[in-house]
Amino acid sequence: MTELQASLLMLSNGGLMSYFFKGVAFTIIIAIIAIVIGFVFGSVLALVRNYCVSGPQRILKWLAVAYIEVFRNTPLMLWIFICLVSFPVPSIPVAWAEAIALSTTEVQLLFKSIVALVLFTSSVMAEIIRGGLNSVDKGQFEAGYSQGFTFVQVLLYIVLPQTIRAIVPTMLSQIITTIKDTSYIANIAYIEFLGRVFRMIQLAPMYTGQPTQNVSDVFVLCGLACAIYFTINFAISLLVRSLQKRQKTVRVAYAAE
Amino acid sequence: MIRLIDVHKSFGNQEVLKGINLHVKEGEKLVIIGPSGSGKSTLIRLMNYLEEPTSGQVYVHTHLMSHNRRAFINKIHSAMVFQQFNLYPHLTVMDNLTLGPRKLKKVPKREAEEIAMHYLKRVKLEHKANVYPTTLSGGQQQRIAIARALTMQNRVLLFDEPTSALDPEMVQEVLDVMIGLSKEKNFTMVVVTHEMGFAREVADRVIFLDGGVILEEGTPEHFFKNPQNERCKAFLGKIIR
Repeated sequence: MTELQASLLMLSNGGLMSYFFKGVAFTIIIAIIAIVIGFVFGSVLALVRNYCVSGPQRILKWLAVAYIEVFRNTPLMLWIFICLVSFPVPSIPVAWAEAIALSTTEVQLLFKSIVALVLFTSSVMAEIIRGGLNSVDKGQFEAGYSQGFTFVQVLLYIVLPQTIRAIVPTMLSQIITTIKDTSYIANIAYIEFLGRVFRMIQLAPMYTGQPTQNVSDVFVLCGLACAIYFTINFAISLLVRSLQKRQKTVRVAYAAE
Repeated sequence: MIRLIDVHKSFGNQEVLKGINLHVKEGEKLVIIGPSGSGKSTLIRLMNYLEEPTSGQVYVHTHLMSHNRRAFINKIHSAMVFQQFNLYPHLTVMDNLTLGPRKLKKVPKREAEEIAMHYLKRVKLEHKANVYPTTLSGGQQQRIAIARALTMQNRVLLFDEPTSALDPEMVQEVLDVMIGLSKEKNFTMVVVTHEMGFAREVADRVIFLDGGVILEEGTPEHFFKNPQNERCKAFLGKIIR
């Protein structure tokens, strides 16, 4: 019992907690940037793979196919390892890093982590988006062309809005997956949340006053990790669900007129 | 208004159109009939380049159609009504009608909505302006699709089997709208249909297409009373009881 109490004591240690929450902030920042860039890059890949099908444009399609298939079919862990160990980073002026209250090492780690996640996430998102594009009826293109829209205008005004609606549920689960995927970085570096949790499990005796690490340390700190990941991801899924619901009620309200 | 010169179209090894020469005059109401697989849908879709000919030329007004000029020419000359309606499901009826004019012709929003309302009244669906298309019946959706074609305010209207996907009791409401349009001299109409009553009533000229060639061509009187071609006779015999 005293072991558990000692472990719980860590949760009231201000310095330790701010160390963890800085990790949570890193997790969120890495995930958000990776998701945004992954989505944009994934959209481009999906469009190229779907629509650059004739003439010399086909080279672009093959490149997109190769990229998507390579990164979708290899473990994320591998790319995180490769990127964190050997991806070239431009040296960052200390002043820049200080401007956002980080050390240059942290900025470099952040950069490498994001690159690794983008490589993988963009390939998965590309396939999700492509599925959405293919779910839009061919007649929508024809209706657009017959009105005098160009290919790009048809995409912009007619096909992409429908695609986005179609992929919301799948994209949501990919976003949640990406947030959880940031924890792979814990294997290589102590920067994001789970990495810091693992580090503190090792260093627990410093904070608990116990002579050794105890199972209760693992229990308490992993419990904390669970609670925080769950809160973030569940909040996102509730938010998206309520947005979808609101959109639906607007439609039903119109329909009832 | 539309001129096809020696148009051939193949899908893979199969030649669907085998040298079509056709001139649709300004203000003419042309009805295309023929058995399924005769190439009539392909023919009408060539007129706004939803299909591109394997060889031959398509002229709309004075413009020679090409892949790159399709958007420009369709924008100012023609509009199409499809068998499957092809309304934009993510937009309300009003937005379906104003998207083209606003984005393509830079009509201000207020004005575009007034124009849209005018045509919605014409198809008697002004009370449906703010609903989504999927909540409407097939007949209503097709009337909205016709209104959408009209809001572009172009002179050529292309109808590709507009009543074929409808339940029988909804066919007449759509035909009534089309008959109303056919009375206007401004519109050049090309209609692919199996509705022979409609063809008889509105057509200036009827063409019968089979095996990728035009086999019979003439006014409705000539066409229905005294067809020369054997295959055309057989087809009409099957379809008119």
